[in-house]
Amino acid sequence: MDTLNLAEFEAEPSPKGRASARAGTRDSTKSRLLGRALLVPVLVFFAILNVIPTFWMIGLGFYDYTLGRGDPKFVGLDNFVIIYESAEQWATFTRTLFFMVVAVAFEVGLGVVLGFLFWGSAKMPGRRLALTLLFTPMVVAPVASGLFWKLMYEPTFGVINYVVDLFGGQKIDFLTDVDWVTPAVLAVDIWMWTPFMILMTLAALGSVPTAELEAADVDRLSFYQRVRHVIWPHGKFILMLGILLRTIDAFKTTDLVLTMTGGGPGNKTEFLGVALYRQAFNSFDLGRSSAVALVLLIIAIALTSIYLYVLNLSRSR
Amino acid sequence: MKDINKTGTNETIAKGPRLSRRGVLTGGLGLGAAGLLASCGDDDSSSGGGDALKGSDETNMKGKSVAMGFAVIAGWPPSQLAIELFPDFATYAKEKFGYDVTVTKTEAPFAELYQKIAPSLASKAQDFNLMVVDSQWLGALSEPGWIVKADDVYKVNPDLDIEVYSSLVKNTYQVYPDGSGVRWGFPQMPDTQGIFMRLDMLEDPAEQAAFEAKYGKKLPTTYEEFAPMTMVEYEEIFEFFTRPDEEFYGTALQYAKEYDFFSCAYHPYAYATGDIWNPETGEVIGVLNTDEHAKALEYFVGLQKYQPPGAEAFGIGQMIDLFNNEQVFSAMQWLAVGLFMQGNEGALEGKVIACPHPRFTFADGSVDVIGAMGGQPWVINSYNDDDHMRVSIDFLKWWYTDETQAKFIAKGGLPWSKKGVEAAGFEESSVYARAFKEMLGEGKSRDFWHLPEYAELLAIQQEAYNGFAAGQYTDAKKVLDFIAVKQQELLLSKGRTKVAIPDDLKGITL
Repeated sequence: MDTLNLAEFEAEPSPKGRASARAGTRDSTKSRLLGRALLVPVLVFFAILNVIPTFWMIGLGFYDYTLGRGDPKFVGLDNFVIIYESAEQWATFTRTLFFMVVAVAFEVGLGVVLGFLFWGSAKMPGRRLALTLLFTPMVVAPVASGLFWKLMYEPTFGVINYVVDLFGGQKIDFLTDVDWVTPAVLAVDIWMWTPFMILMTLAALGSVPTAELEAADVDRLSFYQRVRHVIWPHGKFILMLGILLRTIDAFKTTDLVLTMTGGGPGNKTEFLGVALYRQAFNSFDLGRSSAVALVLLIIAIALTSIYLYVLNLSRSR
Repeated sequence: MKDINKTGTNETIAKGPRLSRRGVLTGGLGLGAAGLLASCGDDDSSSGGGDALKGSDETNMKGKSVAMGFAVIAGWPPSQLAIELFPDFATYAKEKFGYDVTVTKTEAPFAELYQKIAPSLASKAQDFNLMVVDSQWLGALSEPGWIVKADDVYKVNPDLDIEVYSSLVKNTYQVYPDGSGVRWGFPQMPDTQGIFMRLDMLEDPAEQAAFEAKYGKKLPTTYEEFAPMTMVEYEEIFEFFTRPDEEFYGTALQYAKEYDFFSCAYHPYAYATGDIWNPETGEVIGVLNTDEHAKALEYFVGLQKYQPPGAEAFGIGQMIDLFNNEQVFSAMQWLAVGLFMQGNEGALEGKVIACPHPRFTFADGSVDVIGAMGGQPWVINSYNDDDHMRVSIDFLKWWYTDETQAKFIAKGGLPWSKKGVEAAGFEESSVYARAFKEMLGEGKSRDFWHLPEYAELLAIQQEAYNGFAAGQYTDAKKVLDFIAVKQQELLLSKGRTKVAIPDDLKGITL
């Protein structure tokens, strides 16, 4: 076989061609410069609001600094050592992890089931309205949801206890009873974020090519086979992205809990986000709270990496 | 530099000098640290002070326009009265000094107000020229030099140095460090604790007869009868009015984790038993975590049996709601809140009696009353420029005039000066005035920690106490041990004490 001589294709351009090429290069350079110039405001915005504060926070994590108590003092890794050695911090971490796992498990389970039901009910009358209503909790601000549910859970005049009372049950102090408070907050989080997983499930299902689904019909694949061989390979990335986002979000749950319980009773619902908020904005211990925030950031990155690793692993197989 | 990777399907093109990840991180850290240090430098941009502390005279502010910024407590009308009455001050300033003045109000609830003012003061801004703050923030505000020393103002304005009703006023709203006599705050609104009860129920002949039949004694109905009663004696009345079948309960106290709600309600029980720390040595261990305190804590939490469900979350607002919704017979509450303890739409007007906090039997066997101090001082931003400083002083001079104080009290404020509290007719001016006056007497109430570490100290005990109230923790002594250790650790780390944590308590957890 003859060797292909690349040089044959590199013909000497004509003067007109060279001028045209130069003009093209100029145009392309101009357009590239314009593109970059247009990016500048966004990058400046991003740097001011994201990059600089993040590095600032990282830097602060190595200082002993409480607002109004003198200049910051460099303490190296001391803040991290204190966090590592703090039994309360570990208890907070464990509580947060439990909340995250249970919340995400329920949200994914319910979201996928409901997503499949909606996917298969294209002709259901009022489907759009039902979907819109179902997505409402997700678009309500967590603070508003927290207040709303706080009133619903109220032991004296809350509607939930009214119903409990109506059926002869004993009224429950959902948000002050140490046994009920975590399930009560979890229920609200699940109520809020299951719609998000429904949305992700519908998006995942929508990404499956119709031709493959039709082929699965022709081949009379069972539901399980269809999910495993047709739906999962196409939809898993979107679904996993949904799980990843929910995991990170559940891990840093703050506003909902602060509104509903303030982290109480005691520290029963004091999750990492709430503890961090208290340390930063009640005590203004900016050094220690920055260290906690940095640990949170690392955990979030670690969780992301685990998901991506799992995804890539299954793809490489 | 051009780096073209032709080996893979994804072509990576990088142009210009590449920054290594390590370089970015190191640079960022350096930037953060340098910025942090630069921001906390010693640049002193404060300009108000000196001559400005005298306030305005007839010439130095004439023709000027000044926009003032006030920080006040949200949802607390006595704090807001400064804004409501401000137009009167504007007229006074125009007439007396010839300048125009307006005010912008920034408000937040107790817990959040400090979050608003601290960063602003730390950045040496004058967003808030005058602030109504909590008494416990005096240390946090004065140590960094954020507020003007009241003594400096008094030095050039002796007329502002008004005689106080009792040393409680001075020690609570003005002095930091405790016992030093150095004054930073100017009294704004004093407050003390008491108990509000349903007079109509007490006077009901059917209730009277039922109580007498059950307990073999008369149901008290007057201030004179209630004032000497101890908490234990009150318990019979709470028990009598506790009727869960009717969703009606004997009393309500504050157990909430929020801010200082649990602490202020519980501290009288602790004061009757001992102290919460040793201000001389900074020790908490051995002072707070005694067996007697553990019993007092158990007793205080045990009073929940006379209260509606959810008492663990009761704060000031919930107490008002419970009382006004006629769900409780009584409420142990800040007396200044009496303005609102009138029932929904005034349904309980004339049907309420307010008495001092129930008495305690002290360790030495004596029986006396002790309560926690509430209320707030004014503080002046030390970064005010000369004009704003002058107007701030002018405002305080106007605020403390008899005429303004009379308006303030008429609208629900409470007096703190000897002249104001002892004014003829004050005790009869409201349902709660008499009890307030008694609780403001020498030794009848106490304030706690004015240290800069206040928020951290408070957070430690609020969480643990609230957990105990909610049943998360069941051993009162262990709860107190935990609080004592954590608070002393904090004080030790901040150099407020030199006393180390005993080995047997190190690493305690709940």
